[in-house]
Amino acid sequence: MTDLSLQNPELAASLEPTVHPAGDSPQHRAVQARGFQQTSRPRRSALLRGRGLVGLVLVGLVVLIGVLAPLLASYAPQAQIADANLLGASWQHPFGTDEVDRDVLSRVVYGIRTDALIVFLVVPLGAVIGGVVGLVASQFTAADVVAQRVFDVLLAFPALILAIGLTAVTGPGLLPIGCVVVAVELPLFGRLVRSATLKARELPFVEVSELMGAPRWWVLWRHILPNITEPIVVQLALSMSGAVFIESAMNFIGIGVRPPAPSLGSVLSGSIANLRYNPMYAVGPLLVIAALVLGFQLVAQALSADRRG
Amino acid sequence: MTRYLLRRVPSLALVLVAASLLIFAVLRLIPGDPATTLAGPDASPATVAAIRHELGLDQSVPAQYVHWIWSVVTFHLGHSYLIGGSISSLVSSGVANTALLAATALAAAVVIAAVVGPLWASTSNRWLDSLLTGANTLAVALPTFVTGVLLILVFGVLWPVLPTGGTPPAGLLADPGITAQYLFMPALCLALPIAAVLSRYLAESLRTELRQPYVTTALAAGVARRRIVVRHALRNALPTTVTVLGLQVGTLLGGAVLVEYIFSWPGLGQLIQQAITRRDYPVVQVLLLLSVVVFVLIQLLTDVLHAWLDPRIRLEGGTK
Repeated sequence: MTDLSLQNPELAASLEPTVHPAGDSPQHRAVQARGFQQTSRPRRSALLRGRGLVGLVLVGLVVLIGVLAPLLASYAPQAQIADANLLGASWQHPFGTDEVDRDVLSRVVYGIRTDALIVFLVVPLGAVIGGVVGLVASQFTAADVVAQRVFDVLLAFPALILAIGLTAVTGPGLLPIGCVVVAVELPLFGRLVRSATLKARELPFVEVSELMGAPRWWVLWRHILPNITEPIVVQLALSMSGAVFIESAMNFIGIGVRPPAPSLGSVLSGSIANLRYNPMYAVGPLLVIAALVLGFQLVAQALSADRRG
Repeated sequence: MTRYLLRRVPSLALVLVAASLLIFAVLRLIPGDPATTLAGPDASPATVAAIRHELGLDQSVPAQYVHWIWSVVTFHLGHSYLIGGSISSLVSSGVANTALLAATALAAAVVIAAVVGPLWASTSNRWLDSLLTGANTLAVALPTFVTGVLLILVFGVLWPVLPTGGTPPAGLLADPGITAQYLFMPALCLALPIAAVLSRYLAESLRTELRQPYVTTALAAGVARRRIVVRHALRNALPTTVTVLGLQVGTLLGGAVLVEYIFSWPGLGQLIQQAITRRDYPVVQVLLLLSVVVFVLIQLLTDVLHAWLDPRIRLEGGTK
């Protein structure tokens, strides 16, 4: 659950770094001149065909719905409607109403916004923090020892158990969800960046530029960073899928955003006891969560398939 | 093997100690006095003092940690003030129910993977391959709570043939047929993602093995294809698959929290969810430690099994 790359051997393989000289190095131009494509171009097109396109469309559609929430929802997400207890689907309420007389469609549409916040803001934040820790660990032995032990301990907790432990202290809310997502991403990106950097440092042109007296930060920025971005991008897509899972799961078991605020997970868990009266209650959150999780996975698969050529 | 264990055990022990310290420290950070919270608003000072003594809160912090670890080791976990009953009996009944659910799910996952994996690896039918790839991607990607609610919607509401939650009224051991009905949906829900991951890895490593020269030799010698897959390739494909299985077993506990919540299955997952919503910290603390211990032990077991199946690791000493 924590490390989604373990679910798929192809993805796991694609998180290994590959070798590309820095963008304008002579080797690189020579390679291009011989008709090999630059790696950044096929990556862009990998998202515009096949699995990648399907994934991108799924995610894009959900995000669009979230952005357009005020236009699509006929009711406020918290509004209680008179005489509308657990109504079935109708034109007025396409997904019916819930046990406290609220329009389910409106709650789902606004609930997307919480997910989007976590996915597009918190996951990159976790990636940056983890990446910086990994980069520092790859440069200094002492930091490496400490970072590795911290990663070990963080990875000893299954994601949801970590979530439960943290909310025991902070109480439910959006902030704890963000903290859990960062705590889960930190060791993943930390290890990835660390091992990728160590491998990239052994490449001949990196060793040469170090021998020529290039400053350490320049080597990192100029030669190592371009070589480790691809596995990071794949991991980012995987982590976004994972974050949707964590966010929905926490809301599902009632340790997410506080009750009147809408979220996909809480709508889904509210539906279980009431499916007999309104079977459409669960359909909205089911579709949206499935589209998001699947969409990000497909993007990750497309990017990694593209990397392996 | 002894040397291998000597190398692995200390680092895992270190992780366990660090994790237990973390759990202990984090739950100490909660604002307010735990004894007062646990005793409730109307408790007399004497009750609060008694609870404080029972929890060991009147001791120094290092003594409290030792006291807590000792109570966990001896399994005298004290009394749950908010859920009710002794924590030891709550935990042991939870462990029994979760173990039944997890074991069923695991068995189902292994059986599904054992059928799907070899089939997927050896098929030359394009349609079957795409079908399996698609189903696999879905099963891996969909979270347990999505498949769970979907199962309830289909088999509990639209075509009501299975109970939507709980345990058999007469008890789990009364009638295996009825118990199976109650177990079917939660176990399937828990098993699906594991089965999907397992069969994918199994198929992948079988395909690699089937390209090896020894397979060509065996084919040339006239050994039946089925026999090659089952007797030779499968044996070599197992180490990777076992490691993956171990990693997946580790995720079972997190999955159990969700599945038990959906299907009201009275196991550890439901207990920890209850403890957290009622803020019963002594129970939360024990369950967190338990889950980390189980997770780390499973990792060790996986590594040992992997080393046993693959002599190269056992003898030369790779890290994983």
